Amino acid sequence: MAEQEQAYKIRRFLQLEKIGQNSEGQMNIPFIFYCTTCYKCQDNCPQGVKIVDAVLAIREAAVHHGTMLPSHKKVAQMLIASGHAVPVNEEAKKRRLQLGLSELPPTVASSKDQLAEVKLLVHLSGFDKLVAEKNEYNLPMVKSTAFKTCDQVLAEGKA
Amino acid sequence: MSELSLFLGCVAPNRYPGIEAATKKVFSKLGIGLVDLEGASCCPAPGVFKSFDKLTWLTLASRNITLSESKKDDILTVCNGCFSTLKDVNDILKEDVNLKKDVNLKLAEVGREFKGTQDVRHVIEYLYQDVGTDKIRDAITKPLNLKVAVHYGCHLIQPLKESHVEIAENPTFFDELVEATGATSVDYEDKISCCGAGGGARTAILDSTLKMAEKKLQHMTEAGADCVVNACPFCHLQFDAGQAEINQKFGKNYHLPALHYMQLLGLAMGFSPEELGISLNAMDTTKFIEKVKMDTLKSKICITAN
Repeated sequence: MAEQEQAYKIRRFLQLEKIGQNSEGQMNIPFIFYCTTCYKCQDNCPQGVKIVDAVLAIREAAVHHGTMLPSHKKVAQMLIASGHAVPVNEEAKKRRLQLGLSELPPTVASSKDQLAEVKLLVHLSGFDKLVAEKNEYNLPMVKSTAFKTCDQVLAEGKA
Repeated sequence: MSELSLFLGCVAPNRYPGIEAATKKVFSKLGIGLVDLEGASCCPAPGVFKSFDKLTWLTLASRNITLSESKKDDILTVCNGCFSTLKDVNDILKEDVNLKKDVNLKLAEVGREFKGTQDVRHVIEYLYQDVGTDKIRDAITKPLNLKVAVHYGCHLIQPLKESHVEIAENPTFFDELVEATGATSVDYEDKISCCGAGGGARTAILDSTLKMAEKKLQHMTEAGADCVVNACPFCHLQFDAGQAEINQKFGKNYHLPALHYMQLLGLAMGFSPEELGISLNAMDTTKFIEKVKMDTLKSKICITAN
């Protein structure tokens, strides 16, 4: 990605975090959402720094502070509405029948009860509020699940 | 007899159902039981949902895993993204008792419990490790005369790095499976690099991810490949629908058909390109299909002549 986008400087996000500045600040949005999570940088890091983990931590902090790309918000809302990030459409239904498959896939798409389970779980975790259209909601970070902070990741890499 | 649970994910059933159809045909031919994991949702995708809210990611993924825990055998995925999410979550929750408790508190609300009795398998590493290339070769009735550019995809290799170092380091397992069909796996520049689609990047910044895919398509074409074979419906989408976008947006003329390995193996087992959904790609695959049919015809004539 760095070859394609000049402003995408993955090490800069980590440096900002390290000197105590929020790397999820306005300057770095939307770039922190450009990582394809290919792990190439992490695999090649001579210090063994878990760079991708750190970027994911920065992203999660940004999202929890109410900052998301509109296009990502749409994908999240799709998951909540249908149980799929990429839901079935008319073209796919036609193709499924043509291939001898069921019109709807045998997933949540075929079961209201199963979809209700997904919706309840999404609601219980506060995810529906987090990705709502008008988001005034800051979801607190859960300590047990939080990604390691960049400082922790950097310290581990050096150890 | 083994009975794996097929986890479909999103892109295969809802955009490229040919991959789903091919998987079912191939496993039936191999004599391996495969049942739909009914009621499964999005895995949810590792690049996006894992970085939006990790607890939601863990909870929804563990629900998908619990659907298989009443079954005898493991979960099988045909998608790198689903593999990454389900395998990571399964491994994390098997190890972290506290996290498992957190997740199970939520799952209890829908009458479920994560037990951690199953493993998560990707079809490529499953076929390589549990079935083996010899048995695959035995199941082939129409050896393919094709030059194939193999695309592993980042999230096929990454989840194997800790548990299966021996095949993840300098990987050749996918190439070996491709060559078991009679095809030749051609070497090309930056073979292990990313298609560009993952991590929510395709959604966030389409043109830059297309440039990444274009680089790969260029190297594959230079290597003389007849098609690109992938192990992931999302990489597949990037190489197929993305290729059409590249041609249109950047004024290019790439014409490299994208096939999931299930479709390639299906061809070699004698299924028609139509019933494997190869003709349903966004890119025109007519010439490729003609070549495959012509090769089959030629080999038939050879056999008759001999």
